[in-house]
Amino acid sequence: MRRLIDHGFTLLTGMAALAACGLLVGIAAVILERGLPALSWEFVSRAADGFGGGGVVYQIAGTVLLLLTALGVAAPTAIAVALLATVYLDRGRSRRRLTLALYALNGVPSIVFGIVGLAVFVKGLGWGKSWLAGGLVLALMILPTLTVALAERIRAVPRSYRTAASGLGLSRSAVVWSVLLPQSLGGLVSGTLLGLARAAGETAPILFTAAVFAGATLPAGVKESPILALPYHIFVLAQDSFDPAAGAALWGSATVLLALVLSLSIAALPTRLRTHEEARHG
Amino acid sequence: MRRPALVLAILAAAVTVSPVRAALRINGSTTVNPVVVDAAAELRAARGGEIQVDTLGGSSGGIAALGDGRADVAMSSRPILESDRERYPGVDFRATAIGSDALALVVSRDVWEGGLRSLTRPQLLALYEGRIRNWRELGGPDRRVVFFNKEPGRGTWEVFAHWAYGDSSEAPLVSLPEVGSNEEARSKVASTRGAISQLSAAWADGERVFALGIELADGSVVRPTPQAVAAGEYPLSRPLFLVTDGEAGRDARELIDFLLGARGREIVERHGYLPASPAVTTPEEAP
Amino acid sequence: MTRWLTWTLSLLTGVVVLGSALLLLLESLPAWRHSGLGFLTGTRWFFRASEFGAAPMVYGTLVVAVLALGLAAPLAFGAALFTAEVLRGRARLAVKGTIELLAGIPSVVYGLLGVLLLRDWIYRLLSPFDPLSGDTLLTGGVLLAVMILPTVTTLADDSLAGVPAGQRRAARGLGLTRAEVAATVVVPQAAPGLVAALLLGLGRALGETIAVFLVVGRRDNQWPEWLLSPKPIAEAGQTLTTKLGGSEVWIAWGDPLHWGAIVGLALLLLSLVVGLTVTGLRLAPPGGRDA
Repeated sequence: MRRLIDHGFTLLTGMAALAACGLLVGIAAVILERGLPALSWEFVSRAADGFGGGGVVYQIAGTVLLLLTALGVAAPTAIAVALLATVYLDRGRSRRRLTLALYALNGVPSIVFGIVGLAVFVKGLGWGKSWLAGGLVLALMILPTLTVALAERIRAVPRSYRTAASGLGLSRSAVVWSVLLPQSLGGLVSGTLLGLARAAGETAPILFTAAVFAGATLPAGVKESPILALPYHIFVLAQDSFDPAAGAALWGSATVLLALVLSLSIAALPTRLRTHEEARHG
Repeated sequence: MRRPALVLAILAAAVTVSPVRAALRINGSTTVNPVVVDAAAELRAARGGEIQVDTLGGSSGGIAALGDGRADVAMSSRPILESDRERYPGVDFRATAIGSDALALVVSRDVWEGGLRSLTRPQLLALYEGRIRNWRELGGPDRRVVFFNKEPGRGTWEVFAHWAYGDSSEAPLVSLPEVGSNEEARSKVASTRGAISQLSAAWADGERVFALGIELADGSVVRPTPQAVAAGEYPLSRPLFLVTDGEAGRDARELIDFLLGARGREIVERHGYLPASPAVTTPEEAP
Repeated sequence: MTRWLTWTLSLLTGVVVLGSALLLLLESLPAWRHSGLGFLTGTRWFFRASEFGAAPMVYGTLVVAVLALGLAAPLAFGAALFTAEVLRGRARLAVKGTIELLAGIPSVVYGLLGVLLLRDWIYRLLSPFDPLSGDTLLTGGVLLAVMILPTVTTLADDSLAGVPAGQRRAARGLGLTRAEVAATVVVPQAAPGLVAALLLGLGRALGETIAVFLVVGRRDNQWPEWLLSPKPIAEAGQTLTTKLGGSEVWIAWGDPLHWGAIVGLALLLLSLVVGLTVTGLRLAPPGGRDA
């Protein structure tokens, strides 16, 4: 009887895990089945032509620009906050509070970022829709992911390295630059990849702040300089695809976005899993 | 820590570089959108320059964007209302009709095949207000009524409310499931039994969703056919507008003229709308 | 210099975050002044009549999120038990990796699949109850369940696998089967972490916008006759996020009161989610867990 229950346990939990994995495969299959026929070199290298025709090169460019902006702002800030959390803040209560704040920020729904961005940049500063507004909003959104991943690696740097470096007479900032940061670069990279994967797929934060449906190319300024973006493109086409060509563009765009996001997450995966297992057994 | 400085430098450079030719910003109705997007693509190919098109918030969203100075041209599937002028006293709204479209009441296949082919205005009001809850009461199939309402702010809804209630501000406060854009309305009606919604007639394909006729007071039934719309017989037709603040600027003028010209009229027709009455402007068009 | 930069950038971030929250509060003031507490308790939202009651949207948000959690939790805990207690080595990493990838799929893609497949499935599934359409709170809940599944699984696996291996070995040495070890040793110890996983999953479900937007029906003022009545689940509804993602935001733009009401909804959503997240973290303080 006990054996039976044990086998039942393995079977049931195994089926749950299989179902979870099956979902990923299923979703990818449905998208690819419809999207792959639409993919071609022209599709990813040409500008959109009319409603749902042509390619999506500016949607890709817009998404990449958003990611680079978010990265440029979030990476230095994440380094600063992570150092604060691991080196400069006194141990104990204030560190715990900072961590709590980071997790709380991580939990903020993306649509709230969108509304804040709308209030601050579009309404307050009068920028209209702008790539910079979208990039800044996304930067704030991915900041916790980057920071926590980096802080985790900094904490994992053996205590002895720090003491040895200090013993050599290095100042605290020299220890930071020559020991801590180089040792924990992997955390920053995997956190960044993960954050970017999330930022690339988000529609809600750029809905009001950065993206328009058609006509934008590369921005030449900040004010009134919207961009096109893949997720927003899909969102609009999903609601308004009139002719079959637009349907092909819709699934093609979804395939491109999925490929972009999954390759970012896959690149982050090895470091991420290793960190997890180390955190457990180390 | 050299990175922040670099980023700042790039940002500063980006701010100071100003565009050669300011982009033409267009916002508004999803009904007008496909036409303008196609026209913009051809204009861009012919003369360069940027034309940005966006549709958040529908007609009212576009008019608000024009009023706030966030857009240069609003696309609207409803006329400018007194309330718009009150809200933006400083703005001189000038609307140019670039075509027209009939607003159809579309139903799902089971309602259509159940024998319901037309509605009177009082019947429509009763459906909208939830006083009629089953199609049987109108001689249709025994099926509950599912009214997908166009979200407020959409030109389609404004035109519907104006026809049904005289003025959209008189429309009763109802809470129905809402649909936004045209494709969303069409696919939801098509996939739901007993469904009805207000939809641009150009999207009523007669395969997945079916346009009801309107039974007039004298008992005659008018269907939203292009002929009936052109002849002014179908009561729920509406012009599609491009709206500017005061005299249209050079780029906006170019777009409007293009849409009124031969090639533009072709585009309007291709998307299932009726072109504006023949333009008196010059026949030379951009390719 | 490094220290100075660190503090400056961090403080700047703090100011931005707190400033944003403050801004939401300030911009929503007209709505609070207009409706008072009625903004929270009112069950009617008709902006054309300047009536702003958020309760039906809070209700919709909670129903969708709780449904999602109820559906996702058994599957997520099952999968987490499998990865933490049964699988070893490479197989474990492969399954964990796959599940984490699932978390990366953009919500607009989920929405697309919801429109394409899920709405029709739910419509057919509910057909004995004669549903009005396939756009229901249940549809939103099921879609969200799939979306939060990887989050809950990963967090649950973290807390299960965090139980020291020595305790498992000791229990196995006493002759307990794997299932018995899991039930008597591992799960009780990991319990706070499991609850935290649920709460953080709930937080994600509450805040998701785009996917729910496309399948929930966006019907205002759905208020149940009695609080736990199951009927509205099979009907269209509106959540805080779908309201915030919709066209009303643009209509509200120029009108301080209406805009205030919209921002008030954002503030409400923010407090709800952050409150839950902080509670979850209190239960299981983050250790080796990623954001």
